[in-house]
Amino acid sequence: MATATAPGVGAGQLALLIPVGSDTYALPLETVREVVVEPRVTELPTSPTVVRGVFNVRGDIVPLLDTAQLLGLRAVLEKPYAVLVETAHGIAGLVATEMPQTVRLSESVGQSDMEGTTETYLVGDARLAVALDVEALLSPARISR
Amino acid sequence: MSPPDSISEGDFQRLFATEAEGRLDTLVDELLELEKGGANPELVASLFREAHTIKGGAAVVGMTHVARVAHALEDLLEEVRRDRRGVDAALIDAVLAGVDAIRTLIPLAVAGQDHEQAAFDAEQRLRIAVGGPPVAGETAPAPEPPAAPPVLEAPLPPPVSAAPPAVAAASPDAPGGRTAGPEGSRGPEPASAEPPAAGDHATGEHAAGEAAAVHVEPVRASTTEMVQMPVHRIDDLVRLIGEASAATLRLGSALLERLQRDPSTVTEYRDLVRSLNELQELALHARMIPVMSLAPRLRRAVRDLARETEKEVRFETRGEDAEIDRGVLERLADPLLHLVRNAVDHGIETPNERRLRGKPIEGLIRLHAMQLGSEVVIAVSDDGRGIDVDRVREAAGRTDSSAMEMDDEAALYLIFRSGLSTATKITGVSGRGVGLDAVRASLNAVRGRIEVRSDPGVGTEFRIAVPITMATLRCLVVGAGGQAYAIPLHSVRAVLPPQPSATVGGRTMTMVDGRPVPISSLARVLGTGNGSEGPAVVVAGLTRSHAFRVDDLVDQRDVVVKGLGELVPRLPAVAGAGVQPDGSILLVLEAAGLIERARRMDSGDRSAEAADGGAPEAPVPRQAASILVVDDALTVRELQRSIFENAGYRVKVASDGEEALTKISEERPDLVLTDVQMPRMDGFQLTEAIRGQASLASLPVIILTSRGSDEDRRRGLECGADGYIVKSGFDQAALLHAVERLLGAER
Repeated sequence: MATATAPGVGAGQLALLIPVGSDTYALPLETVREVVVEPRVTELPTSPTVVRGVFNVRGDIVPLLDTAQLLGLRAVLEKPYAVLVETAHGIAGLVATEMPQTVRLSESVGQSDMEGTTETYLVGDARLAVALDVEALLSPARISR
Repeated sequence: MSPPDSISEGDFQRLFATEAEGRLDTLVDELLELEKGGANPELVASLFREAHTIKGGAAVVGMTHVARVAHALEDLLEEVRRDRRGVDAALIDAVLAGVDAIRTLIPLAVAGQDHEQAAFDAEQRLRIAVGGPPVAGETAPAPEPPAAPPVLEAPLPPPVSAAPPAVAAASPDAPGGRTAGPEGSRGPEPASAEPPAAGDHATGEHAAGEAAAVHVEPVRASTTEMVQMPVHRIDDLVRLIGEASAATLRLGSALLERLQRDPSTVTEYRDLVRSLNELQELALHARMIPVMSLAPRLRRAVRDLARETEKEVRFETRGEDAEIDRGVLERLADPLLHLVRNAVDHGIETPNERRLRGKPIEGLIRLHAMQLGSEVVIAVSDDGRGIDVDRVREAAGRTDSSAMEMDDEAALYLIFRSGLSTATKITGVSGRGVGLDAVRASLNAVRGRIEVRSDPGVGTEFRIAVPITMATLRCLVVGAGGQAYAIPLHSVRAVLPPQPSATVGGRTMTMVDGRPVPISSLARVLGTGNGSEGPAVVVAGLTRSHAFRVDDLVDQRDVVVKGLGELVPRLPAVAGAGVQPDGSILLVLEAAGLIERARRMDSGDRSAEAADGGAPEAPVPRQAASILVVDDALTVRELQRSIFENAGYRVKVASDGEEALTKISEERPDLVLTDVQMPRMDGFQLTEAIRGQASLASLPVIILTSRGSDEDRRRGLECGADGYIVKSGFDQAALLHAVERLLGAER
């Protein structure tokens, strides 16, 4: 149901490409608030491992979430960039392993069957980016499981 | 201040000034009373006399201009006295303006400064008011509809209490240059053709109320024993006391380490700690203001919305003595306003509907505040139609199929869900922008929580519980596993140098004050590291203590604790986090959750080493123990129920002494906890009745009361109570401790 209302990524739209390990994900640009370089993260003991810690964004305490682990993949260890996204449940940071970049998306090359994602796009010559469904991905239920 | 004429005249003038001050105060008081209560010949006569006396006095000491203004005032009141002019908002306004003018003119006259023009203006305005609308002309003034609002509004600006800034700032009455005084009421058009005309009523009322608030208050402040000081000065005080407490803790460690003296056996040390604790409490109190200082604003909202929706609603308050940190209360203003408006809008039925249901035509909305331990509980209840759970379920079910399977209790809480915009449709009244999810969010920000109970056809109660102070939580900062953590100081019982420990029945224990206490490594409990050899911090949760080894003690700090947001799951061991001056984030630990975690890990370890044959723990005696809670206030009862149930007791409740006796005869509880003030049979009588029955002679009774006088305490113990706890002074831990002790002694 959230997919219906969430601003989606689509052909011709601006998206932020988020490199995570060897994969690349795409977020609709309007859901991204900013990218924080080298966030100073305080670990949050006893929390699920997907919560990598919390960091300070102008006085707000924001959780940093492991993007790969959110998608059910293996956690990435480094956390050099945090992409701040606004969700219905507040602001969160998503880990990016390289500096994210803005692109204009071309036609979708197909559905992505991974939970929490929508379409797959070809970016550059041979790179594929999977668009993230922010609302589905960043729900308290998903994070605490 | 050079006296213009002879010294004696100056003396007299100052004497008159003092006298006039008092008379003007009386005048304003009586005037506001008149506004509240409608026409009252005695009051009017008294008002007239005051004005007359001021006029005479001013003339005697040679303040002719002041005398002229007072004379005009007298004439105006004379018109009222002779029933030639009615009491309306415009009149009140005019008299207040006259009083203000005299107040301003007298010092000018004493100082020999020119005040002729100002006096002339003031006099003119009073003369115009005399010719004002002859409301009293044919009909009695009181029942006239536009005159009704002042009755309701009069108590709005609380003349005595210092309203919190939030309330003052949010008050809809914009300051209209009233404070200027001599300039009087409506600035730019002094002699306009239409003085306080009929259409002016509404603004007139506001202005009058405002004038009362502005002008009465400063006078009061100067004549009572009050000082005002900036909040930051109190904060500084609190901070310094915190530092002193930290130094004292270190002193305690030094006593133990260097002199091998247990600080708790050193009288001087104990005195110091006690004084510091008292000082701390006093300083924190200085930041407190009554919860009910919000009441006028809420009352006003109820009145306005009730008129708008054509409902009849009475607004009642209880718990005038409950106080809360100013900062916390400011954050509660909007949520409470929302709840109160909801109650009028969605809760209270139309008069017709109420009549059909056999309810009193007038609906009731009650605001009840109460301090319980370290929290203030504020309940907003109404006797309206209640929340229709089925329709909530239905509305939520449109987007979430799981809603349909929820039981009533769970479904009721769907109203707090964000995005349940349909909540407004439930009662068919248009939405107001903010939903209950916003209420919950703002409460999260002050670490508060909200509960709701609803009885279809009978009413709804929202209950907010917030910590009394939010601004600063004093914490002990420790290092563990390479990270710093803050432990709220109120849960720190002791700090000990590296302790020897022994394994008892599979658990690692250490001795604290001659008693064995389990000890764990903090880093290990948090899963961030292994054992440390450093000092131990003894932490007390609600029911038990636990010692935690840390790497080092860093310092003591005031932390502004924030929540971790909705996306992070609730972590029982983490209370929240604070942003430090250097931008880093300091996690604040939660004693109860931490201890629970440590115990679970401990027992996990033991079951892993089950070879020992699972050394039997000392059985926990309270598991099966039952407590009868007797209190006529629902909120108190339910809170105590939750405290004890969480601690593993079985709880029964009764709402007065008689009901309690019935319940006791049905099933004897293991302990009775009773309030004093109750209908039918109070707590003292209940205790006496229990003691009067041989079979109940050994039943422990604790009296819990808001009355802390020695007399009450003596009476409580005389009638046979085993304990006497004063509500304002009790914290949950102390209460549970007292109960545990009594139950332990009995068994």
